[in-house]
Amino acid sequence: MEKLNQVLLNPAVQVGPDLAAWLHAGGGLGLQAALGAPSAIIRCIADADLRGMGGAGFPAWRKWEATANAVGDCKYVVCNGNEDEPGTFKDRTLLSASPHQVVEGALIAALAVRARCLIFYLNPHQDSSLHTMQQAVSQWQDSPWLDKLSHALGHPLDIKVVASSGRYIGGEETAVVASLEAGFPFPRKKPPFPAEQGINNQPTLINNVETLANVSHILRHGAGWYRALGVGKACGTKLYSLSGDVLRPGLYELPMGSSLQELVFHYGGGMLQGKAFKAVFTGGPSNTLLTARDLDVALDFDSVWLRHSRLGTGAMIVISEGSSIIRKVAEYIDFFAKGSCGQCPSCKCGTFQLARLLDRVDGGRHSPADLDALQHLCQILPGSGRCGLIDGAVTVVKSSLHTFPEEYGLLVQQTA
Amino acid sequence: MNAAIEYQQASQNRASHATPPRRADDLSVAALLAQYHPDHAADASTLLHIGPSRGQPCHPRLAQLLQSNALIDGFDLAGAEQRSTDVLVLGGGGAGAAAALTAARSGAAVMLASKLRLGDSNTVMAEGGIQAALAASDSPQQHFDDAMRGGHHAADPQLLAQLASDAPGVIRWLIELGMHFDLADPLSDGGKLRYKQAGGCSQPRILCYRDYTGLEMMRVLRETVELEPGIQLLNRCPVVELLSHQDGSCAGAVLYDLEYQRFIVVSARQTILATGGCGQLHLQGFPTSNHYGATADGLVLAYRLGAQLRDMDAFQYHPTGVAWPPRLRGGLISEAARSAGALLLNGLGERFVDELAPRDVVTAAMLRECAAGRGIERDGQLGLFLDLRPLCGPGLPTLASQLPALQHLADKCGIDPTRDPLLVYPTLHYQNGGVVIDSQGQSSVPGLLCAGEITGGIHGRNRLMGNALLDILAFGRRAGRQAARQAQAARNKSSLPHLRGGIEHVYRWQRQLALAGLDASQPAPLLYPGQARLTLHRPASARA
Amino acid sequence: MSETIRISIDGKVMAAQPGDSILQTRLHGPDAVTANIGCMGQGVCGSCRCLVRKAGERDTVSRLACETVVEDGMQVSFIDYYQPDHVHHYRPHDLRDGWQTLPQLQQTFPETAHCRHCGGCDRACPRGIPVQQGIALASRGELPAAAALFDPCIMCNLCTLACPENIRPNHVGLYLRRAQAIQNLRPGELLRRLDQQARGQLAIDTTAYLARSSS
Repeated sequence: MEKLNQVLLNPAVQVGPDLAAWLHAGGGLGLQAALGAPSAIIRCIADADLRGMGGAGFPAWRKWEATANAVGDCKYVVCNGNEDEPGTFKDRTLLSASPHQVVEGALIAALAVRARCLIFYLNPHQDSSLHTMQQAVSQWQDSPWLDKLSHALGHPLDIKVVASSGRYIGGEETAVVASLEAGFPFPRKKPPFPAEQGINNQPTLINNVETLANVSHILRHGAGWYRALGVGKACGTKLYSLSGDVLRPGLYELPMGSSLQELVFHYGGGMLQGKAFKAVFTGGPSNTLLTARDLDVALDFDSVWLRHSRLGTGAMIVISEGSSIIRKVAEYIDFFAKGSCGQCPSCKCGTFQLARLLDRVDGGRHSPADLDALQHLCQILPGSGRCGLIDGAVTVVKSSLHTFPEEYGLLVQQTA
Repeated sequence: MNAAIEYQQASQNRASHATPPRRADDLSVAALLAQYHPDHAADASTLLHIGPSRGQPCHPRLAQLLQSNALIDGFDLAGAEQRSTDVLVLGGGGAGAAAALTAARSGAAVMLASKLRLGDSNTVMAEGGIQAALAASDSPQQHFDDAMRGGHHAADPQLLAQLASDAPGVIRWLIELGMHFDLADPLSDGGKLRYKQAGGCSQPRILCYRDYTGLEMMRVLRETVELEPGIQLLNRCPVVELLSHQDGSCAGAVLYDLEYQRFIVVSARQTILATGGCGQLHLQGFPTSNHYGATADGLVLAYRLGAQLRDMDAFQYHPTGVAWPPRLRGGLISEAARSAGALLLNGLGERFVDELAPRDVVTAAMLRECAAGRGIERDGQLGLFLDLRPLCGPGLPTLASQLPALQHLADKCGIDPTRDPLLVYPTLHYQNGGVVIDSQGQSSVPGLLCAGEITGGIHGRNRLMGNALLDILAFGRRAGRQAARQAQAARNKSSLPHLRGGIEHVYRWQRQLALAGLDASQPAPLLYPGQARLTLHRPASARA
Repeated sequence: MSETIRISIDGKVMAAQPGDSILQTRLHGPDAVTANIGCMGQGVCGSCRCLVRKAGERDTVSRLACETVVEDGMQVSFIDYYQPDHVHHYRPHDLRDGWQTLPQLQQTFPETAHCRHCGGCDRACPRGIPVQQGIALASRGELPAAAALFDPCIMCNLCTLACPENIRPNHVGLYLRRAQAIQNLRPGELLRRLDQQARGQLAIDTTAYLARSSS
């Protein structure tokens, strides 16, 4: 079990909001290293190949560099803790159990991009994490660390803890910006990207909680150490939110690139009641389904991508034989339909109609024409929204149709 | 197609007259109708062979449906969902809504089943308005006289008298539900309504709301029904057969639930048919202004159960249906246009009829023009001009403000009404005849009431503008009230659950079909027009 | 008329003539059409609501199928109608007191105050009604102005479907319009006619016409 919970979930750093305990456990060394050579931070992050853990898997340093290079007199760093996707429960754990590693990482990011304002944007429905973070941040504000940081920056750093709307859509980057500016998290068209024009048109770096949590460790132990944590080409570790029909659901930190087989059968204790593994909904759950054929896949961004799916947030919702894929898909589409922000009728009406059709299929009262209509919607909806919500919803429907046609009765008809 | 004048040439002919000349009438009304009205065509009538109205004339296409086999048999009732109610209303237009609301307000438990969605009906499409004799100079008697004359004295006088007398009460009821009407003076603050002239009327008597009176009416009725706790609404549940008791009375109906693809057997103490007419049969090859569901379903079922019919060979062809563009063919241009001054012109640029004569007369005159080669042809479509310039003169309010629906239609046709005329041709609009009813909407079958276009006798053989919206509400409310009353009486008589009905009448009907040597292979009702037929889904086990 | 257009409707490719509407084209398909159809082109029943994507375009927009002319490569998905679980109950006689219209509106449609101005309703409306403005006016108490905006509404419910706050704008509009008629419309000649009838006057002679027509 030596591969489990090495860094972020390491018992040694689960110290809660007590800053002294965090410093005692080795906290502060990363920030100290950063303060020693601020211009080397981004290089170090790049060498470590730290990825965006919110779902995109995009190399973190690119956004950092873009924000650092963009012109602006009041740059922002936002720690995105809006986490609201079904099956994802990693950020809330980090925020409530070890908030200081998140804060320290965010402070390093602020230093790297020379921000004037650091905002922790947190889902209020997870009140323990919001409360813990408020405690944690105020301790940093009263500590000498912040003076050192201001000195290095040449100006004070304003730190805020802000409750997000708690809506699913509020986690989208441009929605984060809209929410922090005006209140409601309406996604916006990209470009411009927030790194160039974000909050109040200022360059804004928006990183997921897990991404920032890794930063202090990387600065403290070096990029090489971080790279070596991963399996094969993958670097670092990843938090996997394992749920569904497994014996031991829960949050597992494993080397990035551990196999699905290992996660489900070794750490997860295998399938509930010994049923056969059928599929797993990854990440949003707005991605292509992985099936028994994919049990060998390495759970890192690039390897999952090669299987035409996405690692996403690292959520793994496991489905066994005996559970209905359609019912699950219907549940998620309902979630997306309710979460759609309303700006784009295609998204609001499209997810509604997807949900209606899936409800009929799930209830066994659909006609062949309903299945045609479902597939057709999957063709006309993608790309029609300002953000990716409708695309994600379509992806999961399309994937279930493609991977489990027999559940929809599609193969049965062809042979009949 | 008959010879016709080409559109460009006709446009030039029209432009050559500053004021269009009116050709003198050279045929009597009777002769005009006999020679040119579609009802009088040689192939427009046959005699019914079986059923309660055998020996009576009927349009052949309709006769074929009336004398057809049922869609279901006994097996389909096995395992179907069973429900019961005091009053079952079939049909989701204005008549059904009025009947359901009135029955519910009278204390009955009501179920309203609609083939499409509540409100998707001819009612919502009505444009012109509703007649009610309110003016001091007017009276219910004059309303009665006009309608009796317009219907060629074929109306049932008692029914028609009730129609005219009920009108003021109907208007009050509509206002109480929240329907708007046009005011004579917008600043008069609800004190004086605007009266419009209808064809065949002695004075202006039409109340309207702009030129979408039916939309205004139906949206209010639909909302009221949907929010009425005493009404259970079943959308997309067409009736496929009625149910009967041993004594031949109506016992409810069999519905087909499209959402769940299964039959529902509804036992009802009283059943009200408000299923409308048959425009989608395209009688005599005419286009129709009717909504998609107008396929004579209720007529077919009522006749099979033993309800008498009348005037099944009398139909209204509305003079001004759209003839061009083909996409909108048959769509209605309200009589409100002619009421406001629009003129009908032939290809020579002449007026050939009094535009405000009764509809059957105007239609016959138009068909005469086309038969004589004075029609106008555009892209293969034959018609006559409806000249809107008199509505668009200087000093007049804009068409968009007067008749917004007409302006909207002109936009869809790509026509500038201040300059270009619309091309129009008669369109199948209304079924004048139907189920024989008494003054409370009771048919000749106990337990079965009818309201709306499915009924016959109220208008005679031709209906005046504005009397259909009135008829559906006046008789819808009467039927609703009567059904609630009868259901209450039945409940007072016996508190036992009412007996389940069956489809004995279908077997009796099948015997008659066989004995008369009629083709029993084509089932009816049609439910949906068009070539593709709906497959009724049946559990495989029931067929084994 | 030889040029043939191909469009796909709910997954079925169908041939259409230039100038045809989507709805007409759909009627030529292999299945009986049993929903999303009513007035057949007049544009008043609001049943044939659909999502339309033109060839090569990124946008998918809501439209009425009966009023939308086909274009080659168009893709169309129809949108179901159904009564949502949550509706706003009121009865016509609740609307009689004009002083209560605004408080009752707030009570019956509390979501009206939650509008977040996303503009989805305006974009969804096939009639081009400024729906969002109507809701803003209504929540400010400008009831006649709000009601007037909903005058041409055909109750297709697309704004209700589009609203992320469950406001049901078309039903708010109808509520206001109904309240207006119920409170204000008292035509003098109707009152007099009803009074005459209540006194038993103006009965109709159903035989008089026989005498007149024979004379």
